Amino acid sequence: MPFVVCMLLIAIGLFTLLVRRNLIKLVIGITIIENGVNLFLVSLGYVRNAVAPIYTYAPPGASRMVFPTPQALTLTAIVIGLATTALMLAFVVVIYRHQGTLDGGKIRELKG
Amino acid sequence: MVTHAPVLAIVIPLLGAFALPLWGKLRRELRDLWAIVVGVFTLVVALVVAVKVLGGGEVWVYTLGAASPAAAVVQGGFPIRIVLEVDALSAFMGVIALLAGIVGLVYTLQFLREEEGKTLAMSLYLLLWAGILGLVYTGDLFNFFVFFEITSIAACGLIGYRTWESRPPEAAFKTMVMYTLGGLLVLLAVGILYGEYDALNIAYISSKVTGGLLDRIALGLLLGGLLMKAGAVPAHMWAPDAYGEAPPSATILLVVNTQAAIYGLSRVVFTLFGGVLATPGVGWLIAAFGVLTIVVAALMALVQKDLGRLIAFGAVSQLGYMLLGLGVGAASLMTGAGFGQVALRGGIFHMINDAATVGLLFLLVGVVQRAAGTKELSRLGGLGHVLKAEGGLFLLGSLALAGIPPLNGFASKILIYESSFHLSPILAVLAILSSILLLAVVLRAFHSVFLGPKPSVLHVERTQWGTILAMGTLALVIVVFGLFPGFFVKHLVDPAVQALWAGRADYLAAVLGG
Amino acid sequence: MSGIGSGEGFWNPIVWTLLALGVLGLAYALWLQGRRTYKRGTEQEEPFLSGERLPEEGSHIRGEHLYWGFVAGLRPLIETLRAFHTGFIGDYIGWLVVVLGVAILVVML
Repeated sequence: MPFVVCMLLIAIGLFTLLVRRNLIKLVIGITIIENGVNLFLVSLGYVRNAVAPIYTYAPPGASRMVFPTPQALTLTAIVIGLATTALMLAFVVVIYRHQGTLDGGKIRELKG
Repeated sequence: MVTHAPVLAIVIPLLGAFALPLWGKLRRELRDLWAIVVGVFTLVVALVVAVKVLGGGEVWVYTLGAASPAAAVVQGGFPIRIVLEVDALSAFMGVIALLAGIVGLVYTLQFLREEEGKTLAMSLYLLLWAGILGLVYTGDLFNFFVFFEITSIAACGLIGYRTWESRPPEAAFKTMVMYTLGGLLVLLAVGILYGEYDALNIAYISSKVTGGLLDRIALGLLLGGLLMKAGAVPAHMWAPDAYGEAPPSATILLVVNTQAAIYGLSRVVFTLFGGVLATPGVGWLIAAFGVLTIVVAALMALVQKDLGRLIAFGAVSQLGYMLLGLGVGAASLMTGAGFGQVALRGGIFHMINDAATVGLLFLLVGVVQRAAGTKELSRLGGLGHVLKAEGGLFLLGSLALAGIPPLNGFASKILIYESSFHLSPILAVLAILSSILLLAVVLRAFHSVFLGPKPSVLHVERTQWGTILAMGTLALVIVVFGLFPGFFVKHLVDPAVQALWAGRADYLAAVLGG
Repeated sequence: MSGIGSGEGFWNPIVWTLLALGVLGLAYALWLQGRRTYKRGTEQEEPFLSGERLPEEGSHIRGEHLYWGFVAGLRPLIETLRAFHTGFIGDYIGWLVVVLGVAILVVML
């Protein structure tokens, strides 16, 4: 079930990237796709009726733990997403300073 | 130090990149000295890796964080910890990254002026260099994604850091969006493979992959993301913007960044999924994209008005040759035909030839722009009267790009032509015709820039020795690799080809213990 | 140094360079057989443009007009290709989705 939600998020993000022209909306679209992929990564580690994978705080009688590796992968991916979003937004600010508009259709100096 | 060479080759430029602005705050000469020190150490360490792997013929496995670096497997046959695995193809890519990195670093030190943001450029350059070396040395899928993103961020930073002009940030934004999307596709594929096999190590997944539906989806996603980063038509449109607007000292490393995507493709197709590719479909897909790239990029380069974009389309077209060689090799992997090996040899040899040729041309574009103040072909002209040496080097690079004998472009292209002819004659015919078209394109560029009456207003300072040294090194590589191709093919390229064609068992055995 | 190992044909760049030098030497020997009796600096040296006068500073065809005929012949194809390179980032993403779709389709079959 969570995988369907992830695919839906990725599809919504792709749709935003394809159709919208405002640069900030493009960055938001990329962020939505990132969230979908991160949700997919976290949900890979799910084990039914399991506890959080902290060895020293495990409640007595707990027999199973959730996989910890996908949580580490997702944290890394979130931090990478932070860096790329910050860089993209910095470039959007500079483009706005030069061109005065955020419309992707008008910022087309490089074409052909 | 020799036992820790693979990880040192990644760590030294990484730490150097972060420490460089601190030195720059103190004094400029200290910053330049720091860059030279970092460059020399990386050169030594990566050369140690290359000599040991290419000369010794064994796969070098280095585990990060283990008691002894060669111990990869814990009980149960399940490798834990991040493993760097350097086989002959990785060492060859390391040699290319070394050549391009050192040449570009010398050029950056001498050519950039202070008011053009030199500290930023050098710091991002070292970061990109570390990212490329990490991408080719790693043996772990998620680590591959992390270095993919490191190279994306550093490359886009290098393209767009000159924020006082209006075109570089626009090019950097578009490139960043494309790279991030490609990286997310790769991450999705890594997640799918992790969900199936509970491991991230390339060797372990390669031994367990079955070829079911989810595996095929993961392969398709990896192919899509890596073909985008490689710049295959029609997903290539970020490449002319990026190469055309990047500062001239950095474009050579951007080209190697793109070739690292070809490395990723060959690792995915030959090693990761090498055991389960039953049909030549994937090989045909890559070869078809390769031929499409060659033809479309050559046609588009014919009508460009900006010198940087023209050479950029030439670079995209050359990438098609590497894809073609890789695709023909993958398509004949099952049948084991001899021409598949020849095609792989041609494609991989073309990587180092292309790095030298296109790198030389991009460095010269920088010199031309500094001399004439513009990059538009309609306003350039007559520079051959003042820049005689650069004119000669541009002619040399142009002939090598077009594949004229006896230069190095011809040596690798003839391998690709003769082998792809066996798979399908149309591939070879289209490739040869586009090579002739590329000759026309680069001769047009040479004619526009260097020939003609002497312009009246021209401020040409004496070219510094570092710039001439950097360009001269690449010209030397072009001539020597062209005159003695057999020697370099036997020692540099053949181990890499064998590692892909028949070396999957060695790759797996090095980590999983035979 | 005995060839590049392509399995067929023969390619040795040293032999090629020597042969090329030999051909150039032959061309030079033929050139030396020409007549040397002409007067420099007179009308014998000027290019003949069907009787028209040569402009003072010479004429130079700029680079973008070099292949006019060829490009005009391929004009529909090249204009279609240039129309694809719009500059919209949305179109770039669209092409990436197309590549992804083709890759997944081919891998599935």
